Amino acid sequence: MAGGAVMRTCRAVMRTRLGCTVAVLMLAGCATREVEFHRWPAETPAANNRADIAKLQGLQAAGAAASKPAPQASPEHAGSAAEPPSPPVEPDDAPSLKTYDPWARLNRFTYRFNARFDEALFLPAANGYRRIVPAPLRGGVHNFFANLTEVDSVINYTLQGRLHRTVRSFGRFVINSTLGIGGLFDIAGRLDLPYEPTGFGTTLAKWGMHPGPYLVIPLLGPSTFREGVGYAVDYGTSYEINLADLYRGYQSWGLGVVNAVDQRANIDFRYYSTGSPFEYETIRFLYVRKQLIEDAGLHKSKPVPKPNPNEPAGK
Amino acid sequence: MKPLAVFALIALCSSSFAEPTPIELPPAPGPATGLADPAALRATVFGTPPQDIGPLPETVPLLEMDLALPWRRPVPQIFWFDKRLRVWLSAQKKPAPLAVVIAGTGSDANTSKLSVLRAILYGAGFHVLTLPSPTFPGFIVSASSTGVAGDLLQDGRDLYAAMGEIIAHLPRKVRITDVDVLGYSLGGANAAIVKSIDDTQHKLHIHRAVMINPPVSLFASIGRLDKLYAVSLGNGDAGIERFYQQLYAALANDYRASGRVALDEDFLLGAAAAVLKTDAQFRAAIALSFRIALSNVFLAGDLYSGAGVVTDPAHPPKVGDSLEATAQILRNTTFAEYFTRVFAPYYLKRLPNATVDSLIAQNRLDVIGDQLRTDPDYYCLTNSDDLILDRAELGWLKSTLGGRIAVYDHGGHLGNLGDRQQAADMLAMLEGRWPGGR
Repeated sequence: MAGGAVMRTCRAVMRTRLGCTVAVLMLAGCATREVEFHRWPAETPAANNRADIAKLQGLQAAGAAASKPAPQASPEHAGSAAEPPSPPVEPDDAPSLKTYDPWARLNRFTYRFNARFDEALFLPAANGYRRIVPAPLRGGVHNFFANLTEVDSVINYTLQGRLHRTVRSFGRFVINSTLGIGGLFDIAGRLDLPYEPTGFGTTLAKWGMHPGPYLVIPLLGPSTFREGVGYAVDYGTSYEINLADLYRGYQSWGLGVVNAVDQRANIDFRYYSTGSPFEYETIRFLYVRKQLIEDAGLHKSKPVPKPNPNEPAGK
Repeated sequence: MKPLAVFALIALCSSSFAEPTPIELPPAPGPATGLADPAALRATVFGTPPQDIGPLPETVPLLEMDLALPWRRPVPQIFWFDKRLRVWLSAQKKPAPLAVVIAGTGSDANTSKLSVLRAILYGAGFHVLTLPSPTFPGFIVSASSTGVAGDLLQDGRDLYAAMGEIIAHLPRKVRITDVDVLGYSLGGANAAIVKSIDDTQHKLHIHRAVMINPPVSLFASIGRLDKLYAVSLGNGDAGIERFYQQLYAALANDYRASGRVALDEDFLLGAAAAVLKTDAQFRAAIALSFRIALSNVFLAGDLYSGAGVVTDPAHPPKVGDSLEATAQILRNTTFAEYFTRVFAPYYLKRLPNATVDSLIAQNRLDVIGDQLRTDPDYYCLTNSDDLILDRAELGWLKSTLGGRIAVYDHGGHLGNLGDRQQAADMLAMLEGRWPGGR
């Protein structure tokens, strides 16, 4: 009996070692091969060009409409008609060229980790998904996940006190869940109810919370402290609501993976495609300004707070 | 150029950096032709309107190749992600000629401009291989034999060697009947040099070379870009900060008025036309985009040559170190400073008989003037309002190439790349159907 146990242990050890050796060889092979090939989904230049032309025509039409003397107030504006119009943002209201980043050391480490993870796993998975799964099916998957986020949008638009958008998100959810067969088709989008999700990060911003320090979140990427809290609360909300029992048990893992791959497949970004060691600084600069401009958009009636020129942006 | 790109440019600007330099660069000759022309400036920034591009195929396959080149020099820590040369291949299923396309200053092998050229060439039946500019950091680190980029002949030799390795490692089922090279902007000059090298070495049997909006004298062009920067943004922090503030305010106001819930790409696309307003702002954007490309070239060159201008050669920056201060210095560092403090000291030490004047002279297309004049396989497409040429240089191109050049009246620098006329002429040149050619 004891002999059998020893044999079993030996075999287990050998198996583990063999596995490790194979894994090491594979990884080492990956890193030292002279040429690596990565097949990408085929480009569709003709279709892209048609889309670009349509977009441009849409923009020109919108530009022509906007230049007419009587500007059309959106229902959102109409709802807040009592608020006085805010003074425009002046160049002096722009924050400093420097960016507040007290957690830089950790953030840089996470950025590097994300870059490596993306290159090794995330991006290949997304590219494989785009190559293998036909576009209409991918569109359906994307719509399905977008529809799930409407639940969180309804809650947060309510918390933000934006009634019109609450109703719209709710309407979208009802229409797409029924007519759109569980969210696979964005029928509401075709009925002029565009998809504009929101989350708890924006709710906190609407309540007046400052973005806080720049934060690079593992796997998710550039963010701020406030948006990070927002993501956590959004996830918690979805988990608690547990719509159609999708957020518990094994199916939640499968769903999470597909959701992540779908999201990645729809983001046109590649780490270090700039080839530049300044990429971290560049992305941080852009992200924090984007956040500050979005915040200014949330508080239309208030003038933008004057920045202190000696303080970095986002502090 | 999207406003996002404009913002990216700004990310790398400000601060002062001035020390007396021992090497002097002569002033640039005459102003460029298109700088005073509002249409040329706008065409340069916005690029070819989508409705003018064509004809385009429905699908183009795309294969990324990452190569470890045997002559790669030790990689500075902060460039850890640039160890492999990344190029892109779109292969036909049947035997076909190979078109090798070289990107412009500071660009990687998959820019939107390359994407347009790739589609047009693939649609016309070519295998298409796109290469980064030898001034792209990924090329400097993975494929340069010096690490000090910008020398036309040295970059040409490195490109030629890299092309040899790439073509030797193409998937076996790719059958090549002929090889042509082309490139836009600096890549155009690179392409012509690569063909001239092959004319003596005969390793790749390059048939035709097509230059799209090439510079004639590298140092005249960079002198003009420095001047453009100085005129539109000044020296020091104030100008760049003001420009950034104007763009920020314009974007913020547009965003507030739009009623959108996120500042996403669609919004930026719409805002792009509105954010830059005056000619001065367009000039500033163009000058900045080149300055950003220079920052990377400068940093790499400084590290590889050990010049120690912005880094300490004894203690090079490590992975995880903040590069904010370095970026700040480089924002205000000119092409002339790159030449006098990094480039010239390095090449003067390496080439025994070189002088500053000889370095400048060997960085003109004249170095292959005889070939351009007599060999009927060199072609050029450019615009009479291109920002990187003056009248004398355009005249030189015309007289040297004779019937093998197409000059369009409008488009600025690359603002008509891939439009129907330009695409048709480019293909006629590549396929030997151009009336002025063989």
